[in-house]
Amino acid sequence: MIFHVTHTTRYIYETAVSHGLNEARLTPRRFPGQEVRETALRVHPKPAFMHQRKDYYGNDVTAFEVLEKHDRLEATAESTVEVTSELTGPLPSISWEEARKLIAAESDPAFIEASEFIHNSPYVPAAPQLNDYARKTFAPERPLLECVQDLSHRIHEDFKYRPKSTSIDVALTDVLRKRQGVCQDFAHVMIGALRSVRLAARYVSGYVRPGPKVQGAQASHAWVAVFVPGNGWWSFDPTNDVMVSDSHVTLAWGRDYGDVAPVKGITLGGGGQTVEVEVYVRPL
Amino acid sequence: MPVKTDLDKDQLKYVPVEGHWDEALLPSGLPRRHWRKLVVEIRRMGFRHLSRRWQSGQQLIQSEGVTYNVGNLTEGSEYSWPMDPIPLVIDAKEWASIERAVIQRATLFNAILSDLYGEQRLLHQRLLPSALVFANSHFLRPCVGITPRGGVHLYTYAMDIARSPAGDWWVIADRTQAPSGMGYTLQNRLVSARTLPGVFDQYQIRQLARFYDMKRASLLALAGDQRANPSVVLLSPGPHNETYFEHSFLAGQWGFALVEGADLTVLDRCVYLRTLNGLQRVDVILRRLDDSFCDPLELRGDSLLGIPGLVQAVRSGSVAIDNALGSGLVETSAHMAFLPGLCRQLLGEELHMPSVATWWCGQEEPRRYVQEHLKELVIKPAFPRFGQHPEFPESMSAAACEGLVRRIETQPDEFVAQERVALSTVPARTETGIVPRHAVLRVYAAWDGHSFVVLPGGLTRVSTLDSSLVVSMHLGGGSKDTWVLSGSAAEAAAARRRPTDQIPIQPGAGDLPSRVGDNLFWLGRYAERVEARVRFVRALWPALSSEEDFGRAVSLETAIRLLAGFAYLSEETSAASLGEQRWSVQRTLTEMVYDPSQTSSLRWNLKELRRVAVHLKERLSSDTWRVLQQLESHFSAFAPANADQRYLGGLDLLDNVVLTLSAFSGLLMENTTRGFGWRFLEIGRRMERALQTSELLRSSLSSAAAEVEPCLQILLQIGDSSIT
Repeated sequence: MIFHVTHTTRYIYETAVSHGLNEARLTPRRFPGQEVRETALRVHPKPAFMHQRKDYYGNDVTAFEVLEKHDRLEATAESTVEVTSELTGPLPSISWEEARKLIAAESDPAFIEASEFIHNSPYVPAAPQLNDYARKTFAPERPLLECVQDLSHRIHEDFKYRPKSTSIDVALTDVLRKRQGVCQDFAHVMIGALRSVRLAARYVSGYVRPGPKVQGAQASHAWVAVFVPGNGWWSFDPTNDVMVSDSHVTLAWGRDYGDVAPVKGITLGGGGQTVEVEVYVRPL
Repeated sequence: MPVKTDLDKDQLKYVPVEGHWDEALLPSGLPRRHWRKLVVEIRRMGFRHLSRRWQSGQQLIQSEGVTYNVGNLTEGSEYSWPMDPIPLVIDAKEWASIERAVIQRATLFNAILSDLYGEQRLLHQRLLPSALVFANSHFLRPCVGITPRGGVHLYTYAMDIARSPAGDWWVIADRTQAPSGMGYTLQNRLVSARTLPGVFDQYQIRQLARFYDMKRASLLALAGDQRANPSVVLLSPGPHNETYFEHSFLAGQWGFALVEGADLTVLDRCVYLRTLNGLQRVDVILRRLDDSFCDPLELRGDSLLGIPGLVQAVRSGSVAIDNALGSGLVETSAHMAFLPGLCRQLLGEELHMPSVATWWCGQEEPRRYVQEHLKELVIKPAFPRFGQHPEFPESMSAAACEGLVRRIETQPDEFVAQERVALSTVPARTETGIVPRHAVLRVYAAWDGHSFVVLPGGLTRVSTLDSSLVVSMHLGGGSKDTWVLSGSAAEAAAARRRPTDQIPIQPGAGDLPSRVGDNLFWLGRYAERVEARVRFVRALWPALSSEEDFGRAVSLETAIRLLAGFAYLSEETSAASLGEQRWSVQRTLTEMVYDPSQTSSLRWNLKELRRVAVHLKERLSSDTWRVLQQLESHFSAFAPANADQRYLGGLDLLDNVVLTLSAFSGLLMENTTRGFGWRFLEIGRRMERALQTSELLRSSLSSAAAEVEPCLQILLQIGDSSIT
């Protein structure tokens, strides 16, 4: 499946900004199963400096500095991406307890790397409610991926999808209490539940193919990947209750939203600001 | 020879605490060999003479403004640096082993940091559990892969050591983030040398100055040779930080600009200092700000103290930071459980000095041990966050212990247990006599470009009570100088600062940071405002005198009119009875002097004056600082609660304040270089004087045209222009 994605982020400032430093994570990752054919980031006003690098998780980051006075900033990423990963064959049957034990034992470099994602992170702090929520799913000796599917399904059922009902500043415990949110919240709840039983879960940002009943399309989307020892990372989208295959374009991954925010910046001046985001995902 | 009374002898009588090693005395009660001279000297002096000498030492602490800010006091309040004059003496042989241990440990932690911010082989070889890195909020992911200047992460390291009852030293804490205390250590030396000059000269005490010269030179060298005049800044979180005194002291000693985050900016991956001459490149940052607060773009987004883009600048190699960003990672005491193995692996040797026995609860076996021996241990957070403290199960209720065990079970990674250490004792002078106190010694090592060099001395900290085993400056403990003895006279001579050693050259006046200019402006304004306030109140004060005084320049009527003109009193007051009038004026005038909550009061403005001056401490001469301390003490010495006493003492107070203020203004005028800074000070003063004068004229002359004469007289008096 080939997608063409345009992602525009626009900051409108109350007063002029004289110096803005920003970081964008808007370049889709390259990995087996995802080919990036073309990608470009345009920023207006033109940045004085623009630097590319890979971050700690291997995501592409573009850092840029705007030095001319401006009261709005627009960053547009345009990419053509081919997604080839497809779900074939039976699911690995490892139980969740076995998976947890292997990760904890740190007996393999891949397990050590994955163990990073069993710990709390700034947007997914430990909370007893997470473990309470998870308990129902993690029955003894149940296969790991069955548990994850069940968890994804339950979140989809239990939580109301309410675009614009939350901002990223809403605490995870509030999301759990109100049982509503957007895709980021669902991803954070699911990650928190998985980590509460010491499984490795990471946050993935990207886009989903538009379609009837698909939620979170034509917007920044987010889902969850879980580590299966010996079988790598498997992705689930709790917002749409699906296993991720070739209908999702991956931008970046990290511990939580904070590691992969599409655009973040610090400005000198500016006062208050409003942000507008426009995303167009077009399957070719 | 002073005559000693019995009381004097009692106060000198020193009895160590049983079950602990005593630094000064042998179990027999005789002084240890290296303490002999000191013990003899103190006995010769007697308690009273020692106390007299000590007063002179304390004056130095006062006048230098050596302070330590304690978090739980109200904002901006400071403690005078707590110290006592009896030093901790360490002989040459013992010091050699401490020195060896601190060098090894600094080398080891540096190697651990290089690995964890690089290949992480220690994790893959399973010498260190990954949770100690990945669950630690001091692991700064954006810094992974950055090789700091010279490949060194740890340019400054400190360890806290304590002595067990058997006489062996143990490491009880490591400081790798931004070790504090080096400035206080130097300050303690200045004070102890002044208090005990006789015995100081009898001993061959290793001097500290060379180490500080070396530290300065190595910071400059860290800039590399890309630029002819490298610039080093000391980055401080600001005057509210507990150790701000030493930030300003060290910056002043070394001639480096003392800056806060907002003084620096990053442009195209280079760091610049905002100065009056525009942006000036910064090559090296000596940071006293915790690393996670250093860059709100890539590190903690909620930090208001950092410099956006700093990590990018470090990544590009344009700036070096002492210590490297991320070095706080290895400060957790959980690492102590793994150090012996890490030392063998990385350095191929055994640890020279053991750490206090430590169990990290993230592993099953140690966790079980901790649960079984809970009462004998101290439980600490593995990744301490602000406001978290060690817990002592021994003195906790059964319910509290159970709660603790449960918390450990839910979040085992987060807990560390350590053996309780029976700290050694050392004699300390208190008001009532010489008593034993528990001591912890902080020792410093710094990278000189080739190897680690150790400060021959250190910061000795003591507990407040002889029973307390918690030694913490936070909790109000004291401190001491540390005398390290030379092995031989030749060694002592070699350690002296040589006359050929470079004299620090101060940066040019053009480097004045913009914030400093701003503060100087406000210093000028507040100084002037305080003076205007004093003159105004003092001129009106005689209006309250009930005597018909020939020289009395002001009538009650005029005073009320002036006060009403400023809206300090309502217009109706003049219609009230004479008694009420007097009472209103008296109340208003005393409030204008004493009330710290009114922004118009003298007290409040003096507080503001001092607040601004604290920001400028390293730029004010010590005389200027002393005068400022005196201004404050006028109020602390005389603050009666009784309204009548306030009134009665008020005039004397105002007279004293006027005198001290003129000394302050005189020093500012005469002892300030006529650079940019002075101009800002002048702009502030002149502007404030113009504002104050025009306000005075407006309030006094604009209302009634009838009786201008008495007002004019008082205005002349306020303006100090009665005779021209």
